[in-house]
Amino acid sequence: MNAPQIVTTPAAIRAEGLTKRYGEVLAVDGLTLEIGTGQFFGLLGPNGSGKTTTIHMLATLIQPNAGSAEVAGFDIGRNAVKAREAIGIVFQESALDRTLTVAENLRFAGLLQNLPPRTISERSRELLELFGLGQYRATPVAALSGGMRRALDIVRGVLHQPKVLFLDEPTLGLDIPNRRRIWRFIERLREHTSMTVLLTTHYLEEADGCDRVSFIRKGRLVECGAPRALVDDLGKHILEIEGADIERLVARLEPKLGPCLADGDVAMFRWRQEDITELVQLQSELGAKVRSWRVRRPNLNDVFLWVAAGKELRS
Amino acid sequence: MKLRPFYAVLERELVRMIRQRTRLVAAMVRPLIWLLVIGGGFNSVVGRAHGLNYQDFLVPGVLGMTTLFGAMLAALTTVYDKESGVMRMMIVAPLPHAWIVLAKMVSAALAAIVQALLLIVLLVLLGHFGNGTNWALLAAAVAAASFACAGIGMLTASFSRTLDNFAAAMNFVIFPVFFLSGSLYPVESLPVVLKRAAIINPYTYGVDFLKHAILPASVPTDFSVGLDIAVLAGFSIVALTVASWRFSQESAYEPMIRVLTGKPS
Repeated sequence: MNAPQIVTTPAAIRAEGLTKRYGEVLAVDGLTLEIGTGQFFGLLGPNGSGKTTTIHMLATLIQPNAGSAEVAGFDIGRNAVKAREAIGIVFQESALDRTLTVAENLRFAGLLQNLPPRTISERSRELLELFGLGQYRATPVAALSGGMRRALDIVRGVLHQPKVLFLDEPTLGLDIPNRRRIWRFIERLREHTSMTVLLTTHYLEEADGCDRVSFIRKGRLVECGAPRALVDDLGKHILEIEGADIERLVARLEPKLGPCLADGDVAMFRWRQEDITELVQLQSELGAKVRSWRVRRPNLNDVFLWVAAGKELRS
Repeated sequence: MKLRPFYAVLERELVRMIRQRTRLVAAMVRPLIWLLVIGGGFNSVVGRAHGLNYQDFLVPGVLGMTTLFGAMLAALTTVYDKESGVMRMMIVAPLPHAWIVLAKMVSAALAAIVQALLLIVLLVLLGHFGNGTNWALLAAAVAAASFACAGIGMLTASFSRTLDNFAAAMNFVIFPVFFLSGSLYPVESLPVVLKRAAIINPYTYGVDFLKHAILPASVPTDFSVGLDIAVLAGFSIVALTVASWRFSQESAYEPMIRVLTGKPS
């Protein structure tokens, strides 16, 4: 009998024990991570959890204090320039020259990537069309709206067709229509290419489309998996109750329902079964002691809250 | 060796220079005021020496001033680049980060050379230039002075973190460098303390080189051409090395990293 053949896709990003310290603060603490080629990967976590520092280390912009990483097969320390050739990065803050026009910015960025001028103008034409910026080629960047500037920043980041794209909070600070537009662009881009994308965001609903997500908390990875699987791990339902004397309610419900997440006079419990008749019974038992009672499906936001509170997803 | 990224930085500098016309006009007006107003004013007070009036003596000094201000202001845009997004575009490019420093320094020198050429044309038209000028030596002197001034600028830029330091750099770098040189007076006739300061000022050698090229041979200069070239070239290389080293210390884009990670500065 033949041994089962093991198919390994080469990892686009591989990090091992990556650590970054800023003085007393341990920004990233022994982060180990592997992202397969072509994956759409979300790195999620609260502000200050180390997402950006991780991206900056992987993008060779800051050096880790310990650990190592490879991006597109290149070591970020010894082979930083080669690694940078293979990556595109869109920062939280704009990386554009406001005094130059849209086309001039792309020309500058493209030449820095060592692209021939002809390739730059062809690709920028294509990408600007794709991103709805076709008619703004000659507009100075200072005159663009925030949403258009972010779109241009993404064009700038993918102009050299990187193998790995880092998107650090691509929709931060944008209003909802603009956030949707940016996501449409990113989806179109993914249809056109086979880039590996590492995304950070704290708008969790945006991470639903990721192949895999990791939650990072205080510089450590705490959970990793497909968004759907993580949500399923949390439970079938979330019970959200609100009441004046929430502490007594929690004390009464916890033996039956397990640990809860409490915030102000709202408490959330997990329910692992599909069948909720027991919950309905509970509701009628408690009656008027509960101001509001809601049973709903969990989502990635709940996973995030549970992880951020430092609770185990699986019991 | 990748030349396109290098060219990108030079092109951007020139585009910006042409676009910021007030900067260019100021770069022409400033030396002309010194030459025509201050030089003209002192002409009657100082009198002639070595067959030269004060205004003629001032020509190399104001030409040097153009290279100094032109190169310094262009090099100091590196500080602006750090605060705006432009440095982010440059540091993600697949180049050793020392290349960025070299490209910025060459583009600052280029900006200074272009401004010096414009001023030379103006001076020729105004009749303050041309007699007895050694043009080959002048080309070398303008280039060497521009690179050394760009070096001073890159050093200043690599040690200043924010644009607030920019104004300080003007006051505490450009003016001392200008006044503590042989631009306005021969170094030889300075009081001892100022003379020492002028001798360690690399810019002094740039002005001296320009004097060799522009002033008649009968006018005594402070140093030999060989010493001028050695000091200017040596200083440019040292400045480039130190600025590159500073830049590789992460501190070059620290302001940006701080903004992005929310670390207090």
